Amino acid sequence: MTLARSLRSALPGVSAREWDQSNNDVIGLGGTPEVLIRPVSTEEVSQILTWAGEEGVGVLPLGSGRHVGPVGGGKFVALETSLLSGVDEYEPADLTITSGTGTTFSTVDATLREHGQWAPFDSPGVNERSMGGFVSEASHGPLWAGYGSLRNHVLGATLVTGDGRVLRLGGKVVKNVAGYDLLRPVVGARGRLGILTSVCLRAFPLPAHERVLVLKGAKLTSLIEPALLAGTAPVLPVSIVVVGQLSALDGSSALVLRLHGAESTVDADQSAIEKHLGIPLDRLAEQEADGCLTEIRDRGGLEPRCVEVSVLPSRLSQVVAAADEVGVAKAVIDSYAGRLRMGSSDMSADAVSTFRGAVESLGGALRVTRWDGVTRPKDTSCRGAELQIAQRLESIFDPAGVLWPARQ
Amino acid sequence: MTQTLTSRVADRLRAIVGEDQVITNPDRLVAYESDGLTAYRVVPRAVVLPETTDQVSEVLRVMHGEGIEVVPRGAGTGLSGGALPTPDSVIVGTARMNRILSIDEQNRLAKVQPGVVNARLTEATAPYGLYYAPDPASQSTCTLGGNVAENSGGPHCLKYGVTSRYVTGLTVVMADGEVVRLGGAGLEAVHGLDLVGLFVGSEGCFGIATEIEVRLLPKVESIRTLLGIFDTMEAAGHAVTDIIGSGLMPAAVEIVDNATIVAVEASVFSAGYPVDAGAALVVEFDGTEAGLDDDADRAEQCCLSAGATKVIRATSDEERIALWKGRKKAFGAMGRIAPDLLVQDATVPRTRLPEVLARITEIGREYDLKIANVFHAGDGNLHPNILFDRQNQEELERVEKASREIMTLCVSVGGTITGEHGVGVDKRAYMPLVYNEVEMDMLRSVRRVFDPDGRLNPGKVVQ
Repeated sequence: MTLARSLRSALPGVSAREWDQSNNDVIGLGGTPEVLIRPVSTEEVSQILTWAGEEGVGVLPLGSGRHVGPVGGGKFVALETSLLSGVDEYEPADLTITSGTGTTFSTVDATLREHGQWAPFDSPGVNERSMGGFVSEASHGPLWAGYGSLRNHVLGATLVTGDGRVLRLGGKVVKNVAGYDLLRPVVGARGRLGILTSVCLRAFPLPAHERVLVLKGAKLTSLIEPALLAGTAPVLPVSIVVVGQLSALDGSSALVLRLHGAESTVDADQSAIEKHLGIPLDRLAEQEADGCLTEIRDRGGLEPRCVEVSVLPSRLSQVVAAADEVGVAKAVIDSYAGRLRMGSSDMSADAVSTFRGAVESLGGALRVTRWDGVTRPKDTSCRGAELQIAQRLESIFDPAGVLWPARQ
Repeated sequence: MTQTLTSRVADRLRAIVGEDQVITNPDRLVAYESDGLTAYRVVPRAVVLPETTDQVSEVLRVMHGEGIEVVPRGAGTGLSGGALPTPDSVIVGTARMNRILSIDEQNRLAKVQPGVVNARLTEATAPYGLYYAPDPASQSTCTLGGNVAENSGGPHCLKYGVTSRYVTGLTVVMADGEVVRLGGAGLEAVHGLDLVGLFVGSEGCFGIATEIEVRLLPKVESIRTLLGIFDTMEAAGHAVTDIIGSGLMPAAVEIVDNATIVAVEASVFSAGYPVDAGAALVVEFDGTEAGLDDDADRAEQCCLSAGATKVIRATSDEERIALWKGRKKAFGAMGRIAPDLLVQDATVPRTRLPEVLARITEIGREYDLKIANVFHAGDGNLHPNILFDRQNQEELERVEKASREIMTLCVSVGGTITGEHGVGVDKRAYMPLVYNEVEMDMLRSVRRVFDPDGRLNPGKVVQ
């Protein structure tokens, strides 16, 4: 019996169809699921995972399908979360919003903006991403300096574990220490601990005013020092990035700073930062700024091959010096977070592996966030006892290995 | 009944940490019979005070080999009984592990031992223009190890977040003595699970953190502090909703009720709050000097529109300290009006505060108990403080019943049973209000990942 027939027989109410081969190009799996399942509820997700465990079938969760890693061998089905969509609960005065994980980020953000709020997480292609994929990746972008990691702002979630157990993690309040914080390892677990069906996110008031300041430079490397200096200014910008060859700035490399606040505040902030840096900064007009920020947001995250590096900010220059072979000229560097993102269509696996070695020798880590080829380079992994703890944790969330073995 | 430690085991411990750092004298052990929650008291078998990661590791290896339960303890300021010994346990205290190991100005990081007092880290980093943001009310005495164990908050976590936001890496000694390094700054892209985030708030059940790496923030340029006086708690609650709803992002929003004001004003901590006020609201903004007056003006307008009878704005550091005094000294002042104080802790969605506070007043009336409310209004974190005398068994029973009703109420409106104090032993019975049996089982399973035998801080959080 085919998997599709087995599934229909076991769970007749669940929407399942044969996998459309054309989807392969979209998500670059390097393997083919036999069935595409589209559950409409947490209960259905639970039933599907229970069935998969009994059948010995892997389950690949799909959100928008844009950021899926490659899969390994064995039979597997794809579970698409697009029907788990919609804003379930939004109380503007509480600054919290709960949505199904198939909801796109742009839907959530648009809902917030109607009430003068937003979700300040500007990771690549964020508007098209599903909330599930977004949270599973713990994606974040250049606004890290001002708003911090997404991990701190996911307040709650509903998770279905690999064996079909439904767990409510966290809650709807900002401060919550009732029991061990199982939500933290789930955010960013890339689906290894379960499939998220709803998430509650903290919202923020929209800033009254945004100002984008730039310092152009001929070379990326010459801008890292002023970027690090900007991070020690008495006023902390909400974003401090160095970006190479920005088409929005006629191909120049630039240090780009963003300030949020009342107009009088950003005026004063700009003066304080210019004084600290000892150089004047150019202020971008609104339209020019929009183009620039969108390019920065998406750079290094949507190309066919993308890598992300984390390292202590003080070692960024050394990392950049080691990154010539992987297209550093077009990198986006968050100097406050110590993050560097790069993408291209022709990055070689060998060059990435060599670069990873250099990054690790500097005490940093590298992660491949997209890869369209078969020979995907390895990520930096935790080791030793830390790895053993992570593996034991995975085994209690997914005892039959339904969720992870299908992947590399 | 507490068992004494055999001399053979005590000698092994003394060989590791030194003669004076193992306490077995019953008179001295009494000092360790409780933490800040004095309603529960158990004398431990012994107290061991190591100074290094290696010593902690060796001590835990001995405990593991002997099958002895271990209760980690920081400064003992916790309010949920998280450091309460069991009769079979040995306390491993981190008081002597009080060194700041490094301050990395360029990367805005510090590495500390767990016994470093919270406020001392901010003092030590001030010359670099940096500070450590989480500021629990006990910050002048509580330690970073305890803060990590409890995922501590504080008045300013409305804007800056709680401890987990700032911990980037940990060195942890597991129950069997194994030393494990979790995370680390610069390693965020590691392909792995956020085990640092999981460890923070694990209440000493997963291991003992012996080195803590934390992120520091640049010191804020300026501060504005307002005190709003209201006839009713409800009006103060509406002011909070208006302030947050207007798009302002205060650093702190705190409320004290009339019972608390009366207690404070009758004490040596008198702050000049009017004793006939229904509530006092402290609102603080920080950031760039240029924008702060605008923010303060808007907040003041919110207070007046909600019915504030008076709004005072601090114009100097001294005045700011004075405005905060009534809030910060509230717990100390209550000691004057009752022998015992149960500092409750729960969180509710901010918009549900007025109805929850009204119901808490009714619960106090129904159980004939005095309840004084002090809370972090900006993030809905309530501290209903129940005043009682623990020698009065009948009153103690009423306190327990009222506490359960308050917890049930908070959960029923979408909140939870603890916002910053932790579960410890005090809230363990309320965990089923939040979690079903499947979820409780998962919590137990995760605990076993770190401590398969359940000998680290037994009886806390879940059993």
